[in-house]
Amino acid sequence: MATQQKDGGVPFAVTHELQSFRLLELPPEIVELLEAPNPPQLSIKSLPPAASGAANPKPAYAVLCTPNKSFQIRQVQTSNSVFVTQPSYEAHGNEIPTPATCAIASCSTTLELYPADASAVAHLGDVLPVYDIVGGEVDTTENGRSKGDVLADIPLSNAQCEQGWNEIIAFELSRSSYRPSVNILRQVWSSINAAALAENIKLDSQFLGYDLAELVAEESYPAPLTMAILRHLAKSEQDTKGQWSCLDRRRTVSFVGRILLQARQTSSEYRVADFIEEWKDSLPEAWRSEAQLKVIEGTYELPSSTTIRAKSIPAATTETATAKPTAAKGKWHERFAKTRKK
Amino acid sequence: MPAIPLHPRPLAPSSPSSASNPLPSLLHTPSGLALLELQGDIRFPPAASQSSTEVGKLVFPLYNPVLNGEGDTKWMKKVYFYVDQNQRMAGEVKKLGKPFAVVRKREITEDGDVVMGDGEAGGVREELEIVEIVKYKIIFALRPEPVGGGVEETV
Repeated sequence: MATQQKDGGVPFAVTHELQSFRLLELPPEIVELLEAPNPPQLSIKSLPPAASGAANPKPAYAVLCTPNKSFQIRQVQTSNSVFVTQPSYEAHGNEIPTPATCAIASCSTTLELYPADASAVAHLGDVLPVYDIVGGEVDTTENGRSKGDVLADIPLSNAQCEQGWNEIIAFELSRSSYRPSVNILRQVWSSINAAALAENIKLDSQFLGYDLAELVAEESYPAPLTMAILRHLAKSEQDTKGQWSCLDRRRTVSFVGRILLQARQTSSEYRVADFIEEWKDSLPEAWRSEAQLKVIEGTYELPSSTTIRAKSIPAATTETATAKPTAAKGKWHERFAKTRKK
Repeated sequence: MPAIPLHPRPLAPSSPSSASNPLPSLLHTPSGLALLELQGDIRFPPAASQSSTEVGKLVFPLYNPVLNGEGDTKWMKKVYFYVDQNQRMAGEVKKLGKPFAVVRKREITEDGDVVMGDGEAGGVREELEIVEIVKYKIIFALRPEPVGGGVEETV
């Protein structure tokens, strides 16, 4: 019986020149993406190799990026042999070739994907120099890197990079890229507010952002920084690529409150009443009544009943990013232990 | 590190369609690629005269679409892999919980000419492409068992 089946089976051959294939395990959402009529191009990104002698090198890892998501890639050793096969014809001697299946690649590892939802803000904070103006003098270090160069080194998808870029209010200026200090944000905002008042611009309705940035630039604040702030504060449905701007009032009021507090971080005493007054004075006249503590809930603390200070921001995002590879190692050991028990 | 593009479709779809696919139709993919997993490895003496070595036969004893219809899946539970004359592995066809993308290098020289294969020439930037998405695999998780008259260990 067995012999008959054997004769009727599909010949299985192994090619002598195996090709290099990698097997990538796909989560359902990527399968869906790839099977759509016009699948987007994916990309694999990784952190640049740490400079030798760096004090605290980050663990190297690669991520697979869709247009808006990223997945950490982990290589998993398989104890079994996995062959990629394709149809072929096998002929022996003078026999007529018969349809067969032929192994053309052998894979000893597979690649697994895990969602990497870290924020790009932590990465950008590490690589972008701070742009500040102290006593009328620009205080920064040019990095000579465009936005594109910087984002290419961040192991996250384009959409996540863009979001982080906007969140940290990063900007490009003469072929370098920077992130602003709280101090300069406060200065530029005050200039934006003054220019809007002088030109009778309502910031929460459509206005020409670039014209405003030009006015602010007269006070030697770079226009790209002003544009970055306007983009950061824009209504979410706003098309931020165009020349029109329209600020989200609530977001802007909260932003102004937070930078005022953070800019005061160094000096010890800040009375709540003084803060609220300064906050109101930093807003367009019509928005004054909205300067209330509940708008900046969670970002401040009250060291006494009459004083206020900004809450220090924990650097949580970097920790989660480094914790993941450790988990991967643990899993690998588990698998290793399993195969040894067999 | 610049991002390495991973193209969702192969540049030149491999066309093994000249060979008809002898596997059950459930295992067919547009490119003809399929996955077969087994415990251990296949070793065979090199035969210089041929480009490949036939190492055995795959048998799907319960596969009978004429009798049971194409929708039948019971056949997936039993697959035999006869290696040489004396050994047999019992396995099954499994639907993968997460499908595998078969990925290979796509190489493009700076002047835009496409070079397929493993060329390591200078001025080549690395690009990858997904050749196929495979949703099933044939798996032989157990060790081979001896069959037939002469019982001898050959692997």
